[in-house]
This record gives sequence, structure tokens and C-alpha cells, in this order.
Amino acid sequence: MATVLTLRHSLQSTIAILAISIGSSALAAEAGEQAPNFTLPSIHAEQPAIALEGLRGKTVYVDFWASWCAPCLKSLPLYNAMYHKYKDQGFEIVAINVDNPVEDGLDFLLDTPLDFLIPSDPDGVTAELFEVIGMPTSYLIAPDGTVKMVHMGFRDGDMELIEEEVIKLLADN
Amino acid sequence: MLARMRCLLLLVVCALAVNACTPVRAWERGQLARTEMAWDADGLESALNDHIFFSKEASSGGNSAAGGGCGCN
Repeated sequence: MATVLTLRHSLQSTIAILAISIGSSALAAEAGEQAPNFTLPSIHAEQPAIALEGLRGKTVYVDFWASWCAPCLKSLPLYNAMYHKYKDQGFEIVAINVDNPVEDGLDFLLDTPLDFLIPSDPDGVTAELFEVIGMPTSYLIAPDGTVKMVHMGFRDGDMELIEEEVIKLLADN
Repeated sequence: MLARMRCLLLLVVCALAVNACTPVRAWERGQLARTEMAWDADGLESALNDHIFFSKEASSGGNSAAGGGCGCN
């Protein structure tokens, strides 16, 4: 009897440890869930830190990018055009750069100036929080902080799909 | 005996949970794209090495270069 009890106890401990290891993935930002909050320094040292909480009430497009990611570099100038098109309607783009070293990201920005917010996350802390599994990955976040769309990769024709979702969300709010 | 087994089981589980096989995360893949991570970091140097190798070995064909192994090409 004692043997059975001890074994059961071992089994319970095992399950508990496994549950803790697996449970860490529950933080992923998925459509319909609340976007995890973050505060990151701007890639431009002279600009203030950027917090998602501070953008509550706006439709926010969060994008994870890096200078070594070719589809990211293709998407960013198009996002810049989209930003100018809808910024007056309460639209904001936060393009989180995950380059390490940060200078790689800054080098790209020298050739391609972008007008939206660009925080720097060289250690991937926020990318971890969002559970990014591919580059680029972007999240369309409603003014109440709910994730409305998660988009991974950037192929031909994706821009139209993204813009359609942005227009829909701006119209709803 | 049982306590030892229990301890062993816990240790095995802990070892599994903290194993070193960490996947490369999406945002870390830039490290793999660095030139020093390539098999041939320096194209010119590796071409030169290949040339010396097949000349010295008196063999050819393995490095997509024509020649008879005379060391003259």
C-alpha cells in the first residue's frame, strides 16, 4: 500500500513538473486574446521608450523584424506607406527590431527611413512574450488591447490582406 | 529503496526539463545568417584551398575542377 502511495506521489510530482514546463507556452499572443504589454527602448537613443499600454485607444500594428530577414525588409516600406495613409484615424505601427547587435538594424534604417515607432529588443524578451515562431510576425491589436489578427511571413499579396484587416478594424472603432 | 527511486525519477524528469537542446528561436536566426557561420566563410580562400588540395593529392574531380592532377592548372 505504502509502495503504491509513494509511486503515486512520484507520478504527481512528475506531472506537476511537466505541467510547469509546458505551461510557459500559455503566454502566446493569439487572435482573440489580450496582447501582452511591453515597454522597450526606442532603437533611436534620443527617442523615448515605447510601451504598448501607452497606445491604448489606438489601433496598433505590432511587427517583429530584423535586418537579416529579407521578407521583413520588403514589408517595412509598404508599412510606412500604410502608416501615413491611416495615422490620422488613430492607427499606429510598432515595428520591434530584434537585431543583435542593434547597429545592424540602424544601418538598414539609414537607407530606409521609417516614420513609425521602432523599439529595440536585441535579447528577444518581447518576442518571447509574444511567442514569435517565424520572422516576420505581426499582430493587429484593437484599441482595447485585443489581438485581432496574427500574420506570419510576408509574401506577394499579403499587404492587401493586412490593409483590408486594418480598414475593417478602424471602421469598427 | 523507494525513496531512492523517487529521487531518481525526479532527477530524470528535472534533467529532461532543463536539457541543453535549446531550439534556435525565430529572432535568434540572424546568428545563423552571419558569414562566419557559413561552411565556407571566405569563398576565395576555400577556392584556393581546393586548388592546392587537388594539386597536392594528384587527384581531381571532387571539387568541380577539371585537370589531371599535374599541379599545373
